[in-house]
Amino acid sequence: MLSPPDVTLDERRRRFEELYAVNHVPILGYVLRRTDNTDDAADVLADTFLTAWRRLEDVPAGPSARLWLYGTARRVLANHPRGSRRRLALADRLRAELAASYHPPEQVGELAEITAVFRRLPEADRELLALTAWEGLNPSQIALVLDCSPNAARIRLHRARRRFAAALTQPRAAAPAPTQVTNGDFALTQYAGLPR
Amino acid sequence: MTDSQVAHLAQAETMAALAEDITGTIAAPRPDAPALPGGRRPRSMRKRLLIGVPVAAAMAVAGLIATSVGSPGQRLGPVTVGPPKAQAAVLSFTRHGRFIDVIVRDPVAGARKYRAEFARYHLDISLGLVPASPSLVGTLVYESLPAGDGGLRPITAVGKCFTGGGGNVCPVGVRVPVDFKGAASLVFGRAARPGEPYETTAAATAPGEVMHGMTYVGKTVTAVLAMLRARHVQVAHYVVENSRCMNVARRTVPRRWHISNADPWSPGEVVLWASKTWPVQVPKCASVGLPAPVPSPVASASGGAG
Repeated sequence: MLSPPDVTLDERRRRFEELYAVNHVPILGYVLRRTDNTDDAADVLADTFLTAWRRLEDVPAGPSARLWLYGTARRVLANHPRGSRRRLALADRLRAELAASYHPPEQVGELAEITAVFRRLPEADRELLALTAWEGLNPSQIALVLDCSPNAARIRLHRARRRFAAALTQPRAAAPAPTQVTNGDFALTQYAGLPR
Repeated sequence: MTDSQVAHLAQAETMAALAEDITGTIAAPRPDAPALPGGRRPRSMRKRLLIGVPVAAAMAVAGLIATSVGSPGQRLGPVTVGPPKAQAAVLSFTRHGRFIDVIVRDPVAGARKYRAEFARYHLDISLGLVPASPSLVGTLVYESLPAGDGGLRPITAVGKCFTGGGGNVCPVGVRVPVDFKGAASLVFGRAARPGEPYETTAAATAPGEVMHGMTYVGKTVTAVLAMLRARHVQVAHYVVENSRCMNVARRTVPRRWHISNADPWSPGEVVLWASKTWPVQVPKCASVGLPAPVPSPVASASGGAG
């Protein structure tokens, strides 16, 4: 017979394991689509699920859990200095495996151009478009990730699409160079020849 | 890169180990001791954050760095340096411009003493000590920082130590902004008492560990036991993956089985991961929860905008 604290811990652990089993791949995907630095990706994944474990009571049930995790990963990524030397020992093994197995997708010709334009968009626009196209979320779901109202998400998405479409039709030289290199801009720095 | 491509980047075993390590961190209620027989020992409390430095090196470096400690009663930013006896006790506090460098002078002093010493400087910083495998003794193994990290930075020294991973850049303390606000928690590794399980471990083969330099992966239990005997190392227990993808602990395994992994357990003791087959076959049940593929990034980004 288990005492109540054991039941609570077991129950908590069981819930986390379910959450992790269903979501660790999508969350790693989310992170790797935003940074090509596999060391950072391993840390951000570990940190995101560490947060989930510590705040398990705040994680919504059902499909919304993944949206909560996307939102958390987004904040972790934003707060994680690129190429940070502060590493989670937890992520050592994953870091080593990702370094060996991950090869950033090569983009040439038109795809490279589109990618470059996309990466020059403001971060907020990029994230809205990415959540739609890469994670396949609708505005209501995006609202949960970004912690805004569905209506606001819808309007911002509309504006982001317009800006992206406009940027795609502009000559490349007219596009402003990024003033700040943030997480996820690894590919852009390569493209633009900026120091990493 | 789609999620289905991502799913192949890391082994299911690695991802499962990460989950297990996460559920063993200190944010959780403290898990009970080793699960023998049959239970998983939550790798709980074991792998933790950060890096490493042996006590001797930490002490030596502390001696090098902590040369300009403020004199008693002198103000260091918002704080006043305490009496010489207190400030020399377990930590040293040295003002460098807008920062205070806190160097651990006595890595086995005890959390209460550290806390008291930080409190004397009006800093809400707690230091903990957990039993650590030999190469991590005296190292910073966990940190919990306020949002935005409060500007705390580990202080490192190059070439003064080995880390478990073979590096030589080691933390010896922490640099605190003079205007630091919020609460932080730092945990250092300490030496374990005989029989006391480690809560944080480096690779069993890392310099300073009992299996340093040993080549054991894939060898039979018989062969590995012979190598361990030569070094007077005991096996605390074996870990075997069952058909439900759960790691279970066993006191013994057939001698012809193979060893796939090892972890320091307590002074002079290791845990061995054993497998009936070699190479280890990853059970099907390990890869759960793969989502439907999503479109590749660039193609769909352009589509989304069109």
